[in-house]
Amino acid sequence: MLRAIAITKRFGRTLALDGVDFEARPGEIHALVGENGAGKTTLMNVLAGSLAPDHGEALLDDHRLQAGSPRAALKAGIAAVHQSPMLFERMTWEENLALGGFDTGGELLDLVAVAARARALAAKLGFELPPAGATVENRSVAERVRLEVLRALSFNPRVLILDEPTSVLAPSELRAFLDLLRNLRTEGRIVVLITHKLAEAIAVADRITVLRRGRVVARTTPAETSEEKLAGLMIGEIVVQPDAAAMQLRAGDPVLRVENLTLDDRTGRRVLDGLSFRVGAGEIVGIAGVDGNGQTELVELLAGVRSPSDGKMTSGGAVAVIPQNRDLDGLILDMRLWENLILARPLREQVTSHGWLNTSRAIELGRELIERFRIRAPGPETIAGALSGGNRQRLEVARAIASRPRVIVAHNICRGLDLAATAEVHRRILEFAASGGAVLLISSDLDELLAICGRLLIISRGKIRETSPDERDPERLGLLMTGARD
Amino acid sequence: MPSSIAKPFAALALSAALISIVLVALGASPIGVFAALGEGAFGNWNACVDTIVKSCPLIFTGLAVSIAFSGALWNIGADGQLTIGAIAAGAIGTHLGDLPHSIAVAIVLAAGAIGGAVWGGIAGWLRARRDVNEVISTIMLNFVAVQMLSWMVHGPLMEPSRAYPTSSPIAFAAQLEFYFPPSRFNLGMLLAVVLAVACYMLLFNTSAGFELRAMGRNRRAATFYGIRIPALTVWVMALSGALAGLGGAVQVSAISHRLYEKLSPGWGFEAIAVALVARLNPIAVIPAALLFGALDNGSQAMQRTQGISPELVQVIQALVILIILAFDTPAWTGLRENIFGAAGDDASAVPPVAETPDA
Repeated sequence: MLRAIAITKRFGRTLALDGVDFEARPGEIHALVGENGAGKTTLMNVLAGSLAPDHGEALLDDHRLQAGSPRAALKAGIAAVHQSPMLFERMTWEENLALGGFDTGGELLDLVAVAARARALAAKLGFELPPAGATVENRSVAERVRLEVLRALSFNPRVLILDEPTSVLAPSELRAFLDLLRNLRTEGRIVVLITHKLAEAIAVADRITVLRRGRVVARTTPAETSEEKLAGLMIGEIVVQPDAAAMQLRAGDPVLRVENLTLDDRTGRRVLDGLSFRVGAGEIVGIAGVDGNGQTELVELLAGVRSPSDGKMTSGGAVAVIPQNRDLDGLILDMRLWENLILARPLREQVTSHGWLNTSRAIELGRELIERFRIRAPGPETIAGALSGGNRQRLEVARAIASRPRVIVAHNICRGLDLAATAEVHRRILEFAASGGAVLLISSDLDELLAICGRLLIISRGKIRETSPDERDPERLGLLMTGARD
Repeated sequence: MPSSIAKPFAALALSAALISIVLVALGASPIGVFAALGEGAFGNWNACVDTIVKSCPLIFTGLAVSIAFSGALWNIGADGQLTIGAIAAGAIGTHLGDLPHSIAVAIVLAAGAIGGAVWGGIAGWLRARRDVNEVISTIMLNFVAVQMLSWMVHGPLMEPSRAYPTSSPIAFAAQLEFYFPPSRFNLGMLLAVVLAVACYMLLFNTSAGFELRAMGRNRRAATFYGIRIPALTVWVMALSGALAGLGGAVQVSAISHRLYEKLSPGWGFEAIAVALVARLNPIAVIPAALLFGALDNGSQAMQRTQGISPELVQVIQALVILIILAFDTPAWTGLRENIFGAAGDDASAVPPVAETPDA
C-alpha cells in the first residue's frame, strides 16, 4: 500500500499541502482530483521523492521512503510521469528512453535494442513514436508525454503516478491508454491518476481523493459521487461556463486569410500542405487535430517566426499569438510579470517614447492588467515563474487581448487548466470575438472546440478540411482527426 | 539589489579566509601578506591611481562581456576585440600630428571602437547567419587578433629604426594627458565610468535593452514576440566589441602610446570574471574591476616585501570566482532564507520553477 501521512509543504508564503493523508491500495486506480494550485502535483512530487516535505512521511508497504530522493522512490518501484515532461531536449528520443528500464544495463549502450523495446510497448498502447533519431526539442507536447509514459512503464513499476497525462492524448489514444491503466490494476499494481477531467476519473478510477487548497476535502468512489458533486467539492462553488450561443456571434468580413499555405521542413518533408481558410471578424474558428499534425508549425508561421515555402497569409490588422508551450515559447519565467507583458510589441510601444522605456508606466500597466484579468499575483514585480499554470495562462491571454489585435491565434490555451480557469479564459476569448475580433483556436481538446467555436476545421497530416454542421459530434470528429477518410 | 551586491563581497571574505589557510601552510603570515597587498594597492595616492589605471581596461572589457552575456551571447573574445581596437588606434594615431588635440583623441578612440565593433560583429554575423557558436568564433578571432598585432609590430607598423618590435608612438595630439602628473590619472577612467552608467541605462531603461535581456533569458519567447534575433545578435556583438575596442584605444592613447606584442595581459579573459562577479550589472562592473585591479597592483608589493609570488594573486582571483558561483546555488538561497527569512529581495523569494505548486 502507498501511504502519505500528514504531509505539509510550504513554498515561501504559500502553504501547498496542509497535513494531507493519502493512501492507494494495490490493484486500484486512484484518482487525485483538484483545481490548479490544490496541491496535486506537490503531493505527487513528495510521493515520487522529487520533493522533500516539511513535515510528514511517505510509506510503501510500511517501509518509509527516503524523503527527497527520486532514486530511492524509483528503486522502491514508484515511477512518475510529470505534467511538464522532463526530457533532455537536445538528445534523441531513443537516448531519452535509454535512461529508463529499456536499457538492460550492459557495458555498452544498445540504442537499437532500446528503440525496439520501446516500439514494442508503444505498439501495444497504440502510441505513435517520432521518426528514428529525432531529437526531443521539436516534438509536440503530446509526443513528449507519450515518451515519458513509455519511460515510466519501462521500469516495470509497482506504483505509477501520472500527472494529467490524458489532456494531451488524442481520443483514439485515450481508450488504449485507459485500458493500459486497467491492465496495470489487474496485475495488482497501484495507479495514481492526477486529473481534472472528472468524467475520466469517474470512468476509470476505483477510488477518488479530492484536494482543495492543500487539504483533502473528500475521499469517495465513483459509485457514490457524480461529476457535479466532485466539481462542487473541488471548487467549493459552482462555475458558470460561458454560453457561446447566447453571445450570438456573427461572422463579419474575413480578417485573416490563409491561401495555399505550404511548409517543407529542412529535410524536405511536407509539414503543411496547401492550407486555405479564412477567419472573419467576430468569429471563432477552431482547428481540431491530434498534436503533431502541423499545428505547431502553423502557429509559428502565423506568428512570423518562420516563413512558408509557398502560399500566403494576409490579415487586416495585428495578429496576437498565444503559443501552446507557455513556459518555453510564451513567457520568460525568470523575468517579472510586467516585463512579460511588454514582450508584446504593442504594449511595449505604449510604455516607450523615443526608445526610452518608462518603467513606472510599465509597472502601472501590469497592475491594471492584473486587476482586469484577475491574475492571482502579489504584484506586477512578481517573477512569472512564481505564478501557477492557470495564472500564467491568464497572463498570456491578458497580454494578447491588451495588445488590441484584430486577430488572436491561440494554441491549446486551456491545456492543464482547471474548470474555473478554463471558463475564465473562454469567456475572455468570447468577449474578444463579440467585440469584433477574429479568433483562430487550435486545440486537441474537442470539448473546448465544440463549446466555443463557430466553425470547425480538421487538421490531419498537414492537410486541412472544413467540417459540416452535421459532423459536429465528438465521435465523428475524433475519427476525422485521426485521419480516417469517408 | 543590495543583497545581490553584498554576496560577492561575502565570497571575497570567505576566499580570504581560505587563502589564509594556504598562507599559514606555506609558513607565511596572512596578516603581513594581506597588509602588503593592501599597501601595494591603496597605500598612497600613486598606488591608488595605479590601481585605477590597472582597472580601466577591465572596466571596458567587463562592460563588453556584461552586455553580451545579458543577451546570452557568450563573447569570450573581448581580448581579441580589445587588441584590434588597439591596433586601429595605434595605426591611425601616428598620422594625427597636425590635428587639434580633442579631434585627434576623438579619432583615435573612434578608430578603436570601430575596430572592436567589426571584430565582435564578425562573430555576431557568423552566429546570426551561419549559426556558428560564438564561443568558438570569438576564441578563434582572439588568436587571429593576437597574431595580427604581432605581425603588425614586426611588419607594416614597425618603428622606423627597425630595432624593436613596436610601432612608432602615436602623435602627441592623440594622447590622453595625465591630469595629476606624475600619477597616470587620465580621461579614460571617466569615460569608463560614463560608459558603465550608459550601459546600465541601455539595459534597463530602453526598449532595445529590454529586447536584449529578453533574448538572453528566453530566445524562443523573444522570437515568438517579434524580436528580430539575428539583427539583434549582430548589434549586440558589435556593441560588445566596440566597448572592448575602446578599452584598447584608451590603453594606447593614455598609457602605452604605442603597440607591442602581448599588449593585453589577458584583460579580455579576466573581464569574464569581472562581469560574473558583477552579476552582469554594468554599474557593479566598476567595483568588480577595481577589485581585480587592486589585486593585480597589490601583488607586486606583496612579492617585494613578503616574497610571495604574484601567481598567488591569480589563485585568490580564481577562488573568489569559484566561491561566488558556489554561493549561487539553491542550497545557499535556502540557507539564507532560513536564516534571514524569505522576504529579502523578491527574486530569490520565489521557489525554483520546478517546485512551483500545481502548474
